[in-house]
Amino acid sequence: MSQVKWQASGLQVHQASDVTSEHIALEADVVVVGSGAGGAVTAYELARMGKRVIVLEAGPYVPSQAFTEDFTESLHALYQDKGGQANSSGDLLVLQGACVGGSTVVNGCVCFRTPDFILQDWQRDFGLSELTEAELAPYFDEVEQNLSVHDNGEHEIARHGQVIRAGANKLGWSVKPLRRNIRQCGLTGHCLSGCKTERKQSMLVTYLPWAQAHGARIYSDTRVEKVVTEGGVASGVEAVVTRHDGTVAATMTVKAPRVVLAAGAVQTPVLLLKSGLANRSGLVGKNFACHPSLLVAGRYPEPIHPWRGAMLGVHVDEFMHPDKGGFILEDGGFGLVEMTMLAEPGTGKPFMEYMENARYLAGLVTLIHDHNVGAIEWDGERKAINYQLSDADFPSMKRAIKAAAKLHLASGATEVYVPASDKRVIRSEADIDLQVDSLENDPQHLRMVSYHPQGTCHMGADPDHSVVKANGETHDVPGLYVADASLLPTSIIVNPQITVYALATRIARHMS
Amino acid sequence: MKNNNRAPLPGHLAGLEPLSRRGFLRASVLAGAALTSGCASLFGRKDAPETLQYYSLKPDEVDVITRLTEIMLPTERYGLPSSTTVVPTVKNIDIMAQRFPEQTRELLGLGIWVFNNRPMMSFKFKKFTSLSDAKALEYVNAMQEGAFFERGLMTTLKALIALNYWRDERTWPGLEYHGPVTETWGVRRLGNAPLPRA
Ligand SMILES: Cc1cc2nc3c(=O)[nH]c(=O)nc-3n(C[C@H](O)[C@H](O)[C@H](O)COP(=O)(O)OP(=O)(O)OC[C@H]3O[C@@H](n4cnc5c(N)ncnc54)[C@H](O)[C@@H]3O)c2cc1C
Repeated sequence: MSQVKWQASGLQVHQASDVTSEHIALEADVVVVGSGAGGAVTAYELARMGKRVIVLEAGPYVPSQAFTEDFTESLHALYQDKGGQANSSGDLLVLQGACVGGSTVVNGCVCFRTPDFILQDWQRDFGLSELTEAELAPYFDEVEQNLSVHDNGEHEIARHGQVIRAGANKLGWSVKPLRRNIRQCGLTGHCLSGCKTERKQSMLVTYLPWAQAHGARIYSDTRVEKVVTEGGVASGVEAVVTRHDGTVAATMTVKAPRVVLAAGAVQTPVLLLKSGLANRSGLVGKNFACHPSLLVAGRYPEPIHPWRGAMLGVHVDEFMHPDKGGFILEDGGFGLVEMTMLAEPGTGKPFMEYMENARYLAGLVTLIHDHNVGAIEWDGERKAINYQLSDADFPSMKRAIKAAAKLHLASGATEVYVPASDKRVIRSEADIDLQVDSLENDPQHLRMVSYHPQGTCHMGADPDHSVVKANGETHDVPGLYVADASLLPTSIIVNPQITVYALATRIARHMS
Repeated sequence: MKNNNRAPLPGHLAGLEPLSRRGFLRASVLAGAALTSGCASLFGRKDAPETLQYYSLKPDEVDVITRLTEIMLPTERYGLPSSTTVVPTVKNIDIMAQRFPEQTRELLGLGIWVFNNRPMMSFKFKKFTSLSDAKALEYVNAMQEGAFFERGLMTTLKALIALNYWRDERTWPGLEYHGPVTETWGVRRLGNAPLPRA
């Protein structure tokens, strides 16, 4: 094994600006597509076992010092489609990171293990008998330790979390500190713009530098366009290196007997569809779920300053089990820009009053256990995310809004803003049903955001009804693996990063 | 390798997506032609605010966005910097639009045109720019409760304006918003995490 060379800060990344030839031809034991949660973990696990690993990342390399803490700028610099990835009807923003480190660079640090009742569904409905709580526990233990995952300390529960916790206690609802992957949180509240001081334990400062220390090579600005096979077996990829002005710097081929797709739940299926691979089941791109989320803001009599302190402090898990509602609520901090985009307090005077009182607002993020009704499609020119909140999930969404409103009121809020296209303000318990029951499941009625796309190449035992085996290898193409959020057969209700890390660790161990 | 035939819309413009999907793009070409061929005067044009120069928005688009900004953000009454004369909200939108790919820019133009020209019986077929304050507000509220693409369009235009007003740091002190803090607070960098113990 080559010597381990860990560097204390930053990464050595081959970027478009370094390219001198028109074509780059590389060889490796494993080529990993995407450097986010799944890609970085797989790269590290395989590199430390002595494999020659190449990681190809479509997004740019943005070192932590270059993060601006300006959300509008960050959307442009760090997010997929410059923050503009949406479903076909434009009412669901599907946020994903697109930079070295992927979504882990811009995420909120919340860490949950896959709930056992979800694993049981997978065992029962998808033949994933190996994926038991006991089997996965050591992987969870390991990644949690590697990423400094811990329960928020009291100082990491900002004012907005404190009021929400008090309200939940008053209602007798189960409320717990969130667990997060962070070291010595700087309490800046700018997580979604990337952590400037490397306290968030994203892939950018953990698994990628570790993979590199073990010899993995990382190429940014490099979009894989096609997976290549020989005799039906994976043999490498074709990619394009693009400068930041959009011009092509070079084409690239990587020959490798193992290809790991970790481009995220939107791009991984696109890549398979473009390559015409692994789709015997016809399920590549299907089965998309995304935890469509709402930000329900409440106005309090005393200042909250929702941008102060750690962004996410506590969560209410009272309704997590599908039998009890199938949703969770997380207190969410936010800045001015997010505030203007996510709520609808009315136009003119009411809007000004809403913003004037911004410091009195606290937010609740709803996450629902949606069904896998969406599909990622590729028409030969562009991708489409066809997802409409299903009628089966709409009652869950309404229950989550009602619970958020009730919780805000119990916490002392005087007004709760329903994030619909029209103005809906709740001032008392009596208003809740009135304002929420009349919501309709129509496009452009709710202001939804997804942070958690999943499910588009799901695992399963039956090759006719799933894309990937429990060990991550595609049913159809030996040597072609998927190791990202596309794997999850059903939505998991909770934030998925830890699930992706654990599954990717397991997949890499099985590969080696 | 084929290129995407239309660049994705920035997140805050996502509500325009239905316009592009409903075959409105052809109308945009017509709208664009009408605006550049002298029909602009029909749309109740006012002088652009102050002496600002716009590089991306057409004069009529400036008028519509300026008027919507006035209706949406009557800032002075709230002790906040003016959304038209102090914070150059419309100019900020113009700068943002310069970074849009051509088709996105076209779609935004179409959205603004549709918004201004949408004939509504209750408003006697007037353009948005020629409605009184009260009627303009009524129109916006009606659009927010309207059909699917009207809701999307309104959400988008409102987000565009709000974003480009509140991203200006002059609006922050009044709200006690701190903006970027790491440097001000002198938060120390931690660098890469140490390698895990084997
Ligand atoms: C704003 C935000 C907040 C979030 N908050 C949380 C949270 O608090 N807790 C939590 O658990 N989860 C959170 N998530 C979700 C979590 O980060 C993701 O579930 C997880 O990172 C998914 O991992 P992945 O490997 O599937 O994809 P990603 O981490 O998204 O990585 C995919 C990478 O592949 C690259 N790529 C795409 N196509 C190609 C291609 N063709 N060639 C090469 N590279 C390509 C992309 O640019 C990207 O960098 C959040 C996500 C976002 C966007």
